[in-house]
Amino acid sequence: MVTCPSCVRTQPLALVCAGCGAPIGASVDLFAALNLPRRLTIDPEALERAYHNLSRRIHPDRFGSASVRIRDASLRATALLTRAYRTLRDPAARGRYWLELHGHKLGDDNQRVPANLAALVFETQERLAELRDERTPGNLAAARARREEVARALDAAGLELAENFARWDADGVATADGEHAARFAELKAVLSKIAYLTTLHRDIDRELETARAA
Amino acid sequence: MAYSDKVIDHYNNPRNVGSFDKGDADVGTGIVGAPECGDVMKLQLRINPESRVIEDARFKTFGCGSAIASSSYVTELVKGKHIEEAMTIKNTVIVQELNLPPVKIHCSVLAEDAIKAAIGDWKKQHEDARPSAEPRKAQEG
Repeated sequence: MVTCPSCVRTQPLALVCAGCGAPIGASVDLFAALNLPRRLTIDPEALERAYHNLSRRIHPDRFGSASVRIRDASLRATALLTRAYRTLRDPAARGRYWLELHGHKLGDDNQRVPANLAALVFETQERLAELRDERTPGNLAAARARREEVARALDAAGLELAENFARWDADGVATADGEHAARFAELKAVLSKIAYLTTLHRDIDRELETARAA
Repeated sequence: MAYSDKVIDHYNNPRNVGSFDKGDADVGTGIVGAPECGDVMKLQLRINPESRVIEDARFKTFGCGSAIASSSYVTELVKGKHIEEAMTIKNTVIVQELNLPPVKIHCSVLAEDAIKAAIGDWKKQHEDARPSAEPRKAQEG
């Protein structure tokens, strides 16, 4: 329980007071911070609306002349709200937060890279090394083609992630333990794939940027 | 973040970079990754089938300086070791040698896992290739 520093109403932990709407800034999970249900499928527009509405209500500028306790509450609430918004608006970050929320870590028992993904990484990095050695139009075209391929793979992984999210939302915590474990493993696998592909995409971009600058 | 001199040395002068021929039956390949940061590491070991000693090693790592240094260091560390001895190498040895900070310990875990994966791959090939104790017949033609 927590007491609102503005209207002194006692209530369950919350970002803002249920009575007067002033900031409390208690530590709540990131879904609760945005007043969203604990669901992985999030409508981006609803997320934006929730963020902007809450942000306006608790912004430190509004409490410049308030008491120290209220100003502190405003700062804490704003920091948490910002973290919630940045985490939940990015599906991969949202998925990683879901793991964290349930006591899982992305890296635990998860260091084998699937063969086809490893092949893509190594072949692409070899093309980039060739481009570094020789900036020929052919090598540039090969690197650009790889970027397209990696971007397509990232799109496909994004769809896989959305499907995993939908399965959690469909039956959530009511699932049997065995099925839960499989779904967490699947979530880790797709989040890992996205991480490797994102790093690869960034490396290609950097190399193409260097080639352009030269 | 400051890298130790040894990390910088391995990063600037990586030992045993490259690949062995995929078709070489004495080579075991381990490919591992750190999903938190997207680093990928490939370690290849050439293992003598009679003595089961690691005769040579190669690596390719795409990642941060600590990941490259960790894999470069293990290629030196495993050479001349029996595979069962190499299986017991702990990441803490790598952490100490390279003076890795806490945020980079996962790079050493990755290198330890790469050794195990490469030896596991070699064992799998050799157990598949030699299901019985009979000497291998020539498979020419």
